[in-house]
Amino acid sequence: MATTACFIIVSRNDIPIYEAEVGSATKREDAAQMHQFILHAALDLVQDLAWTTSAMYLKAIDRFNDMVVSVYVTAGHILCICDFKCYRDKKTGENGE
Amino acid sequence: MDPAKTPLGKMLLEEITPVVMVLRTPLVEESCLKNSLSFIEMLTPFCNFHNIDVPVRTSSDQPYRLQKFNLRLFYESDIKQPNLEVAKERLKQVITEAGERDSSELCTDLPDISNVLASSKSEISPFWFEFFNKELVRTVSFSEHEAFDHPVACLLVVSSKDEQPINKFVDLFNTNKLPSLLNDGEMDPKILKHYVLVHDNQDGPSEKYGCLHFLVMATKILAEMKNTFGSNGCDLLCINSSQVEQIEHQDNPWAPYIKDLIQELTSKHIIPYMEQKVRVLNQQVSATRKGFRNQIKNLWWRKGKEDIPDSSNGPMYTYSSIESQIRVLGDYAFMLGDYELALSNYRLISTDYKIDKAWKRYAGVQEMMGLTYFMLDQSRKEAEYCMENAFNTYLKLGSSGQQNATRCGLWWIEMLKTRDQYKEAATVYFRICSEELLHSAVMLEQASYCYLLSQPPMLHKYGFHLVLSGDRYKKCDQIKHAIRTYRSAVSVYKGTPWSYIKDHVHFHIGQWYGFLGMYDVAVTHMLEVLACSHQSKTTQELFLRDFLQIVQKAGKTFEVLSLQLPVINISSLKVFFEDHRTYASPGSTSVRESVWRSLEEDMVPSLPSTRTNWLELQSNLLPKRYKELNICVAGEAIKIAIDFKNPLEIPISISSVSLICELSAISDETKYGAYYFNADVDASCSTAGLCNDEECNNLREIIADTSSFSFSEVNISLGGGETNLVQLTVTPKVEGILKIVGIRWKLSGSVIGFFSFGSNTVKKQVATGRRKVKHSPGNDLKFIVIKSLPKLEGSIRALPEKAYAGHLQHLVLELKNQSEFSVKNLKMKTSHPRFLNIGNQEDLNVEFPACLEKKTNVTAHANPKKISHGVFLFPEDFSVQGENPLFWPLWFRAAVPGNISLQVVIYYEMGDLSSDMRYRTLRMHYNLQVLPSLDVSFKISPCPSRLQEFLVRMDVVNKTNSESIQVNQLSTIGSQWEISLLQPIDTIFPSESLIAGQAFSCFFMLKSCRKSSSTEENTSSLSPRIGSSVSLVPDGSKEAPFDISSSPLADFHDCERLQHRISDQEAENTVDFILISRPLKSNIEPGISDAYHVFSHHACHCRQECANFTASTSPISWVVHGPQTRHHDFSTSYCEINLRMTIYNSSNALASIDIKTLGTTSIGDPSSDATAATSGNQVGWHDVSLSNDVKIAPDALRTHVRKSLSSESVSPFIWSGSSSTRVQLKPLSSTEIPLQICVFSPGTYDLSNYVLNWNLQPVNGHKNVGDRIQSSGTISGYPNYLTVLPSD
Repeated sequence: MATTACFIIVSRNDIPIYEAEVGSATKREDAAQMHQFILHAALDLVQDLAWTTSAMYLKAIDRFNDMVVSVYVTAGHILCICDFKCYRDKKTGENGE
Repeated sequence: MDPAKTPLGKMLLEEITPVVMVLRTPLVEESCLKNSLSFIEMLTPFCNFHNIDVPVRTSSDQPYRLQKFNLRLFYESDIKQPNLEVAKERLKQVITEAGERDSSELCTDLPDISNVLASSKSEISPFWFEFFNKELVRTVSFSEHEAFDHPVACLLVVSSKDEQPINKFVDLFNTNKLPSLLNDGEMDPKILKHYVLVHDNQDGPSEKYGCLHFLVMATKILAEMKNTFGSNGCDLLCINSSQVEQIEHQDNPWAPYIKDLIQELTSKHIIPYMEQKVRVLNQQVSATRKGFRNQIKNLWWRKGKEDIPDSSNGPMYTYSSIESQIRVLGDYAFMLGDYELALSNYRLISTDYKIDKAWKRYAGVQEMMGLTYFMLDQSRKEAEYCMENAFNTYLKLGSSGQQNATRCGLWWIEMLKTRDQYKEAATVYFRICSEELLHSAVMLEQASYCYLLSQPPMLHKYGFHLVLSGDRYKKCDQIKHAIRTYRSAVSVYKGTPWSYIKDHVHFHIGQWYGFLGMYDVAVTHMLEVLACSHQSKTTQELFLRDFLQIVQKAGKTFEVLSLQLPVINISSLKVFFEDHRTYASPGSTSVRESVWRSLEEDMVPSLPSTRTNWLELQSNLLPKRYKELNICVAGEAIKIAIDFKNPLEIPISISSVSLICELSAISDETKYGAYYFNADVDASCSTAGLCNDEECNNLREIIADTSSFSFSEVNISLGGGETNLVQLTVTPKVEGILKIVGIRWKLSGSVIGFFSFGSNTVKKQVATGRRKVKHSPGNDLKFIVIKSLPKLEGSIRALPEKAYAGHLQHLVLELKNQSEFSVKNLKMKTSHPRFLNIGNQEDLNVEFPACLEKKTNVTAHANPKKISHGVFLFPEDFSVQGENPLFWPLWFRAAVPGNISLQVVIYYEMGDLSSDMRYRTLRMHYNLQVLPSLDVSFKISPCPSRLQEFLVRMDVVNKTNSESIQVNQLSTIGSQWEISLLQPIDTIFPSESLIAGQAFSCFFMLKSCRKSSSTEENTSSLSPRIGSSVSLVPDGSKEAPFDISSSPLADFHDCERLQHRISDQEAENTVDFILISRPLKSNIEPGISDAYHVFSHHACHCRQECANFTASTSPISWVVHGPQTRHHDFSTSYCEINLRMTIYNSSNALASIDIKTLGTTSIGDPSSDATAATSGNQVGWHDVSLSNDVKIAPDALRTHVRKSLSSESVSPFIWSGSSSTRVQLKPLSSTEIPLQICVFSPGTYDLSNYVLNWNLQPVNGHKNVGDRIQSSGTISGYPNYLTVLPSD
């Protein structure tokens, strides 16, 4: 089971202030930009949703293919957004539909 | 809003309409092609009725009028599912054409996102999307699972030229030519037939007669047709009736005929036919399916069919099956606008198909239900649910349902768009992206526009989907489309701090522009990604390589304002220039200005404002503003140092780095100045990009004008992540105002970058080298260039960087003046006179170190140096001019170990009084490391037996690492001291030199030979340095002692004394030593010194440590002389012993001294013990170094002896003779008093039980004596042991 995830903290003006890529999957060359694109695009939804709910953790707010984006919104509207992807190696492919 | 008027409504009214199958003979087509039209093309324009106004009655009894109606005409060969590949090819062509058409836009400026948002909906998405979507919908027409594409009627067309037209009509409707739909039993083959005879008027002979004849023939055929097929279903259509020659036509000459034909066909045949069919089918359906009983029956019957094996399409339904009939009923009702009826039938059939697992049909029905709900404008939720259901069901079918899903999705999207649910529409677009790249590229692009149109606009998603779409376009080689989408994306991502996104977008669009050969635009985008320090090394290489390739292909040199490679750190900007302050070396500028100021304080003429006052001449001419400007001198370089940083991991090469400067004459500066200040403001808001704006032209102009100054060019190469300090100079040649505008450089030999200081300094502080920013920083880069002036250049030759402490060296100061004008009134000051002493002119050519040696004829200084406040004034006739350098001797001595920053300032005035500056200063700075060498310490203790003589112990430790040092000579300073060795040197110091780490002690006898003189005291610091010296070199050496009384040793010694200045009172009775040593030549470390070296070590104000009986506390000192042991035969008599006491008065006053001998009883008296304890005698006992050496401290163990004595010595002794003696002593004189004791028994006696009372009587003219020294006091005797032994 390989995973890939990217965690970015975004300040109020959509400026990324921290960026970390984690996960066990072998890193693709364009992984960094792909994550940035996905997370950047998710900001639209966060901005809509953050003001309509009192919850700070917005789970699975957006998805792109099999990447799921979740957001933690702080009181100061700093966003900690994270996308996560789990995929099985084709060889093993055990538990799953 | 009327659903029929929405885009989707219009689309449905156009697309879901009755199909008319057209069967024609080749001759018909031939006739039509004369007009370059096919038969269908000829008829189609007349098939759209906006206001047909036909009454329709379907299931209900109430008729309604149908207004809008369309017919779709197809040849029989086209009534089949289109070939997917062909359809794809056609779509691709559509896209390519659209791309070509749009290509003109690619060169225009980037759209601004705010403009995009402001533009109307129709402007946002390209026009061809609609067309594309329509084409896409049509790829799935004529499916067997839905009935609205099934032909409602059949138009049989035969030309009048055809032979046996009636037979032709029959032949046309021949089953083997008919589409499979009819043949396979999918639809009822018994459809409405309409027969048309086409008559071409141009056929036949050209004469009118013949023409008429043929027309008659056609009419005849028509009559025959009417007989055969019935009178209603036959028509005659005459075409090409106008003559060939006839040019002018009516607007639509044949329209009325065709229009009438079609209208009649529609209103009189097709619509009634459909009405009729709807009614019939409705009755059938009602009979079999409606009602509770039928439903139960149906359910039961369906269940029974469950054993039928599942196929993807479910069971086969023929046209006669009730399911097909319901579907046909629904579709006809829909086409006739009876949506209620359609919906009820769709609902009915939907459950059936679901139970039968006929998924495709089920999806098709669901789709129609959704559309019907929409047309009814009720239950939006239901409509959407149906559409989604249909969409998902189609998708579940896999590839066979893909096209249908697309169509369904497009309709669904239109439905959502109608309701302004753009966000949802966008997700649907995303979902209909198929495997096929081109298709999904278009869909993603449409999705992005939906995000843009949603409220509020979702720009992040807009950009993302544009990028996704662009990537797919690129993969399909649709570069122009790819660029178009990325261009829009750039407008979203412009200036984003999301670095990877920005890099991706700009890099790719740049690359694609490069493919298209639009290199200028390509370079603009590529420039954005150059500073990609966050990327991996390979990516950086890729970016840079592609960038350079494009630049190379462009074949010209680009000029770029604010090129990002390398990064220029404006805060590192340092400006070095010389006004009246000049610098000997670059290092001099690193010293703080305050240090220089304090040095120059005494030399520079004091002026109210040092900065502008020497500009008095111009101050009237110049506007006030210029007073704030810096001054520089024509012909003298201004240096700029700035950091160039390579942000990448790969090396880059920078060439031709130079300054951009501008020099204007003072008179026109006023107007220029205003212009430039404006330019600065402009520059600050200009953005990165190619150099094509006004400012850049401006810069180019400035660069071109280089006649009035010269500047340096530097080439550097920066490794990965490296920062280089680049030093640039500009030398103005003429007077005026010089402004340093910026820097230019060439990246990899192909791109010229500009960096304007003005534009950036507005935000950032400029740190000038030597000056705090007090005013606007722009002014710091502006200089008033004044007329060329003399400038002294100075250097100190051979000043060592490293030296051992005490190192003495002869140096030469070299001064040069390149200009033709002379300078005068030179002054000089050093920051550390201990280290650097200014010599006499005649010292210039002396031989060192021979000059240090004592000369036979010692003369007074012929030319005493002019030094006031440490400022050395050069002789007045001393001027420097022209090529010949002038020299002045300097003496250097490394005074103390450590790191020393040595500053020398030379002040000079201009010989030419008319020049703008009256004086300048030359600042020299040297850094010096002084290593420890010999550590010398002196200890002085009084000689126990002699007055005014002292024992001096000198401890020397060699603290160098490797050097061997020979100790040469020890001298005392001042005439009142004489020093001599206690023992010959070769006995105590045979090895002659000290190796590293070795310590050495040596004893000397120091004799005070001060003569009475009151003047000496006051001038002790400047007393003639006639000292006495001891050579420490063994006799074999013939070296003459060094002369410590002449320069430079004496000068340095004065400095040392000043350094350790103490009060005059304390200075009295102290002694200064100078130790001269030389490193052994064989052992000299390379780099530190050369052959002739002399170290001098100065110890000032040494004093004796035990202050018990010398003049330091009391002016009276004495010594008791007498035997120490005596043999006496006590059997005969008691023993008489004579003693002599020598008393010395070291004060300048007359002293009267009273000596009292005490009785024996006082011995062991606790009070005397206490006095002894408090008298200060004990201080010396605890000195550790002394206690080690019993030899020179004979009284060290006194306490023990004394204690033992006090208990043991029972046999007393008595002082014989007078018990009190009074003497008068003149100043600085001594006298001797005889004393006698009588001892009665053998033993050891302490002869200390006497007291001296002294009293000073001031001599004439010395009233202040009492103030300085105690005027009277009592001293008890010091221990003096006498052992008397019985003689045998």
